[in-house]
Amino acid sequence: MGAVESGGESKSHARGGKKHKKKRRLRIRIDMTPMVDVAFLLLTFFMLTTYFSKPQTMELNLPPDEKIITEVAESNLLTLRVAPDGAVFWNMGTEPANRIEMKELRKFLKDKNKENPKLITLLKIDRDGKYDMLVKAMDEVALAKVERFSLAQMNEYDKRQIQKARGS
Amino acid sequence: MPKIKKKRLGYGIDMTPMVDVAMLLLTFFMMTTQFRPEEATAIDMPSSHAPFKMPETDIMVVTVNKAGTTYLWVDAQNLRAQLFGEANKLKASIPVTNDQLRQLLVQARISNPKLRTLVKGDKDAPYGPIEDVLGILRQVKITRFNLVTELEKNN
Repeated sequence: MGAVESGGESKSHARGGKKHKKKRRLRIRIDMTPMVDVAFLLLTFFMLTTYFSKPQTMELNLPPDEKIITEVAESNLLTLRVAPDGAVFWNMGTEPANRIEMKELRKFLKDKNKENPKLITLLKIDRDGKYDMLVKAMDEVALAKVERFSLAQMNEYDKRQIQKARGS
Repeated sequence: MPKIKKKRLGYGIDMTPMVDVAMLLLTFFMMTTQFRPEEATAIDMPSSHAPFKMPETDIMVVTVNKAGTTYLWVDAQNLRAQLFGEANKLKASIPVTNDQLRQLLVQARISNPKLRTLVKGDKDAPYGPIEDVLGILRQVKITRFNLVTELEKNN
């Protein structure tokens, strides 16, 4: 298996009556088996270590820290608050908060944005929550094709709003 | 009684094409493989439907693990040496405090303005440290950055 042969018997032809002297060629045999073995070993190694799925990234734009106060009409502001246990609450402007399931969020955001194209979505996540909640919520926002979106810190007022919504 | 000698048929299978293909594949895999720097901490990434592929060069990665510890890593080795010191040049990522992170981000951006920032958080990382990191990014005026996630297949 896997051998290279070189040389072999050279045929001598009589041409024009003149006879060639029979030259003896050296027969070289290289056994390629070890090389092929090593090549397969390497092949298996590289095939097993390679992975093609690169991680995805989610792009996020935040305003710089300067205290730029943007005036937003209350009727155009939709606030989403995520409690530490993953419960999502929404409210318009200063209205009381309502609970919503994460699953329904996409459709809800789509509908709200259809109703009011000027809507601005503000996402607030509790510091005691998990990072996954941010990614999940942002993913839903992106899937609902909401472009006017921002992230804000949750303060005591927000926490009270969530408490109130839970109580009712 | 003399035994009748069975004449064995000698099979010769030409392995050359197979070996050729194997070599071709080997070359391909050797060329495409890139060894990922070893992670200082295990990260279980959250999944999203985000369509962008992660950039590979000119990146700095802020990692937050399950415990909420923040790590920083830059892809260029010389920049790593410059930021973290020659001794830490080959280390995977360096744990940093928030103040260090702020300084290092600024330094890194000065050295290479093309650097893109990636935030890589564990799925179960508490949101507090993430919020701090996002706040620092804001303060040092990195307003555009990416969150590293895994692709979620289903809807």
